[in-house]
Amino acid sequence: MGSSVISAVTNFGRGSGDSGTSTEVSTWSKGDSVRTGLAALLVVGLLFSAYQLSDNEGTGANAALSLLIGSALGIAFERGRFCFFCIFRDAIEDRDTTPFLSILSAIAVGAIGYAVIFGQFLPDTSSDRLPPNAHIGPVSTALVAAGLAFGIGMALSGACISGHLYRIGQGSLRAYPALFGSLIGFGLGFKSWNTLYSKSISIAPTAWLPHYLGYGGSLVLTLLLLAVIAVVAIRIGKNSTPLANPVATKIDLASLRQSLLINRWRPLTTGAIFGVIGTFAYLRIEPLGVTRQLSTTSRTYFEGQGWIPQNLDGLDLMAGCIAVVSTAIVNNGWLILGIVIASFAAALAGNRFKFQQITWRNALTALVGGLLLGWSSMIALGCTVGVLLSGTQSFALSGWVFFATAFTGAWIGIKLKLHKL
Amino acid sequence: MFKNLVVRPKNIVVALLSLGLAAGVTVAPANAAPKNLARSVVQTDWLEKNLDNPDVKIIEVSTEAGLYERGHIKNAVKFNWYTDLVEVVNRDIVAGARFQKLARAAGINKNSTVVLYGDKNNWFAAWGAWIFNTYGIEDVRLVDGGRVKWEKDGRPFTTVVPTPKEGNFVATKADKSIRATLIRDVLPAVRKKGSADLVDIRSADEYNGKIFAPAGFQELAVRAGHIPGAVNVPWGANVNADGTFKSVADLKKLYADKGIDGKKPIITYCRIGERSSLTWFVLSEILGYEVKNYDGSWTEYGNGVGNPINNPAGTIWGAA
Repeated sequence: MGSSVISAVTNFGRGSGDSGTSTEVSTWSKGDSVRTGLAALLVVGLLFSAYQLSDNEGTGANAALSLLIGSALGIAFERGRFCFFCIFRDAIEDRDTTPFLSILSAIAVGAIGYAVIFGQFLPDTSSDRLPPNAHIGPVSTALVAAGLAFGIGMALSGACISGHLYRIGQGSLRAYPALFGSLIGFGLGFKSWNTLYSKSISIAPTAWLPHYLGYGGSLVLTLLLLAVIAVVAIRIGKNSTPLANPVATKIDLASLRQSLLINRWRPLTTGAIFGVIGTFAYLRIEPLGVTRQLSTTSRTYFEGQGWIPQNLDGLDLMAGCIAVVSTAIVNNGWLILGIVIASFAAALAGNRFKFQQITWRNALTALVGGLLLGWSSMIALGCTVGVLLSGTQSFALSGWVFFATAFTGAWIGIKLKLHKL
Repeated sequence: MFKNLVVRPKNIVVALLSLGLAAGVTVAPANAAPKNLARSVVQTDWLEKNLDNPDVKIIEVSTEAGLYERGHIKNAVKFNWYTDLVEVVNRDIVAGARFQKLARAAGINKNSTVVLYGDKNNWFAAWGAWIFNTYGIEDVRLVDGGRVKWEKDGRPFTTVVPTPKEGNFVATKADKSIRATLIRDVLPAVRKKGSADLVDIRSADEYNGKIFAPAGFQELAVRAGHIPGAVNVPWGANVNADGTFKSVADLKKLYADKGIDGKKPIITYCRIGERSSLTWFVLSEILGYEVKNYDGSWTEYGNGVGNPINNPAGTIWGAA
């Protein structure tokens, strides 16, 4: 026993060479110092902007807090590679299910946080009422279609919406046509909304677990379900990435720097961080989501052009990443800005910023995939963050349906090799 | 500089009342105008001193979902305007029996002082105040400036939801003297010119018939314009930039300039009767005039077949 520990320790420095799992403290160059310094400046800039925003009469504390929450997300996305499509693809294509655990961990930690907050926001679960702003939506055939389309859109464009956002910070160029496509996709969503609303969404049930089981029962059931999925995922996982070993047995500055800035954060830790950020976001502002600003921008533009109906039936009464008609930046806009800039800072510090190759071909697939992402997240009232994470964390059946269908859509897309087009 | 030194009558009465409370004396409301002023508007500092006063029951009525849950004034109970204060199937104010149950659950007794506040210049808090008055609570007050003022003052919010002891409030029959209906009050006022003053509190563009409803609102009437004889005083004119009520003198002048001096009964209306309850509150509870709020408002009147209207802009529904 003792000797195996020693051999494990002496094995440090013979890592796989993949920086994500390296147990070796890489040498720190002058370039690293410059890049990390720039990243620190960016972070200071974000903090200062938040301070300015909080003083601003029009935007106030919520805009500032949104920017900070976005910044935290940006760092966590980048450092943990919390990209839903990559995670799904690792599991489906390579049978590497370790990253998948980060999603489960995010739901588990977030569900605990939500249960605590719900207990205070809406103590009585026996009435028809739902907790304010929580992303609990109707479970309709439209939601199923949207989930599948979202999965296929991820495969085509190479990432989900939050994935594209944080990858802008890593130098992704495909993110631009993808996000542009999503803006048009939102427009198509608004165009089809009234029909889908009257045929499917308005008559669909809104199932919220605590109505049947209370908060305790819902939390226990959610955690059990997550445990079962985790067991299955671990069992079928074959080529799973070895979890990064600690860089050193004792924390010193060099190893801390290595694990914070260079090595990919462990999946369970990354997920837990998302769960905590999600809880804070719900407590103070609104559930996490990344599409409200995009959706709002799209709706405001297309409505101005007269291309979409002015009245979107029932939309105002729904909970989710709902578009408003506004030319001002909504809180969600500050959150997105935080994601992009903080992700850039994190990528810069770890020397991962690199302009990705773009061709006409992969720009086109990104655009078409983006269209699907936009349409489906309008119809589902959110994406992998707003519905999948924030929905499951709030014990909404809609969140789980979106999880299952988006995963299935990604599976179909990968089997059709759409991601290699 | 001297402007700040001007002593507003309202402040004096509030101060006197505070003194009275401190001395344990019950101050009876003066019958002279301005009726009820001391009682009907409280300042944030007064409220902060009375948060734990068992006779004071604090109610928040806000429009933005989740606002109360993310932080409210200590011991405040939330009333939801679109479910708690209305009958959702019949278009009506909440029925007496249901309101009594709700008020009792909020710990309200027969002799409680009910203090309401909310977001958006106390818009729906004023609707709440009108409903509380309708069902016979004697002492209903609004917090000057509402939520925004409280927050700007740097006063604390809490997320702790109070669990009040069941109150013994008994709802009276709905008071018809503060609620106008189409048949009983509004049409007679239109037919017999000069029998009552009508105050339209909507925007000038709605009043003049240029638009059917403000942007972003769906409750519409198929006609644009206003009730014949109504004067237009947009509801925002009642408050200062910081959301606090204007002084009694300024309010008096604001309405007197439009020919509303309290000598005739007044009817206030808007689109659905909610915003106009703030003007009802100002005219009735601060200035002491005889005022009815017409909750049917323009969505009832403007849609009613054969109701005469005035439409200066001449906008026609459906015409391009």
